Amino acid sequence: MRERDEDHLTGALARATDGLRHEPELRAEWREEVLRQARAEREEQPIRSPRGTTSRRLSISIPWAIAAGLACALVGGGVARLASRPQAPAVVADTRNPASSPATDGAPTMLPVKFSIVAPNAARVSIVGDFNHWNPTTLPMKRSADGRLWEVEVRLPLGRYSYAFMIDGHLAADPDAPSSAGDDFGTPNSVLMVRGS
Amino acid sequence: MSKLSFRFSLAAAAASMLTVAAAAPLAAQERGLPDRIVGSSRTVLQHLVDSARTAGLPTAPLYDKAAEGVLKGADDDRIVVVVRSLTRELGEARDALGPMGTSAEQLPLLTSAASALHAGLPVADLRRLAHRGGSQPDASTLATALVTLVDLVAKRVPVNVATSSIQNLIDRRATVRQFSDLRAGVDEDIAAGHAPEASVVARVRAQLGGSPP
Repeated sequence: MRERDEDHLTGALARATDGLRHEPELRAEWREEVLRQARAEREEQPIRSPRGTTSRRLSISIPWAIAAGLACALVGGGVARLASRPQAPAVVADTRNPASSPATDGAPTMLPVKFSIVAPNAARVSIVGDFNHWNPTTLPMKRSADGRLWEVEVRLPLGRYSYAFMIDGHLAADPDAPSSAGDDFGTPNSVLMVRGS
Repeated sequence: MSKLSFRFSLAAAAASMLTVAAAAPLAAQERGLPDRIVGSSRTVLQHLVDSARTAGLPTAPLYDKAAEGVLKGADDDRIVVVVRSLTRELGEARDALGPMGTSAEQLPLLTSAASALHAGLPVADLRRLAHRGGSQPDASTLATALVTLVDLVAKRVPVNVATSSIQNLIDRRATVRQFSDLRAGVDEDIAAGHAPEASVVARVRAQLGGSPP
C-alpha cells in the first residue's frame, strides 16, 4: 500500500512538473489583451517624449519587462531544475525491472528513472543510450557514499530505450536489465521500458 | 489594464518562453546524423531516413542507431548496414502489428517488435503473437512480452522455445509483472547453473499451472 501511495505521489509530481514544461494555454489571449490595451492607451493618452515622437510609456516598460523576465526565468529555471532532482522515492522505473514503473493516468508523462551499477574500482562512469543520443558526456553518474555504487537519475518520457554504461571508457550492459537483440556493433545493450498505465 | 500589469504580462511571456526552453527534456533533444559520418555513407543514411519518414516510420530509432554505432567505433559501412536492417525491420514490424503499430504512442511496441524480428522471431510468429483473438494483449503488455522474448534469446534460449513460451503466457493473459518475473527467474536459474532452455520451460509451466517453480 505504501508503495502504491508513493507511486501515486510520484506520478502526480511527474504530471505536475510536466505541466510546467508547456507554455501556458492563455498566452495567445494575453498577447491579444496586451495589444488591445496598448492600442487603447495609445489612443486615449498619447504620451510623447520631450523630443516629440516616441511613446515614453512603452520605452520605459521594455527594459523593466526584460529585467523582470530574466528574473522570472531564473526563478522558473530553478523551479524546473528542482523538480528534476531526485525525489523521494526516486525510483519509479527500476532498470532492474522493465515493468516496474507505476501506472499513470495518461497525458504526456515524464518519469524519473534511476540507473545504478556496482563498480567499486571505477574512476568514472556515465550512461549512454537512446535518451542522450549515445553521448558519454551528458549523463555522468555519481559514486554513492559507500563507494561501490554509481547512480544517476534521468527524467524520461514513456518509451523503450536501449542503453549501456560507460565505465572508464569501456561499455557494459546493465546486468540487471533485459538484453537487447544482437550485438550490432560488438557490445551488447540493455533495454528499459518506461511504462504508463 | 494598468501599466504594471502590462509590464508584468511582457515579463511573464518572456519568462515562460525562457523557462520552457531551459526545461526541454532529454529525450526531446533534436536528433540528427552524427557529424563523424560523412561522404557517401552519410548520403545513404540520409536517404534511408528520408525513405522511412516517407513510409510513415519513426526516424528517431535510426538516428539513435547511427549514434550508437559511432560511439562504439563502428565504421561507416557497418553503420549503414545496421541502419538499413533496422529500417526494414521497423517496416515489417509495423505491417505485422497492423493498427497497433501505426500510432506514435505505440512507438515502444513498434521498436520492441523490430528488435524481436532482429533477434530471429519470424514475421509470421510476430503477427500471431499480436493477434491472439480473444486473448489479444494490450500494446504495453505485448511490448513487454517481446522485450522478454528478446532477452531470452540473448540468453541462448532457442527462438522457437522462447516464442512458444511467450505465446503460452499471452494466451493465459499473463501480466507485465509475470513476464518480468519470468525473466528474473531465468536469470536466477542461469546464475545457479541451470540451462536457459530448461529454465524457461519449467518456469512457464509453473506459471501456467499457477504455482511457483
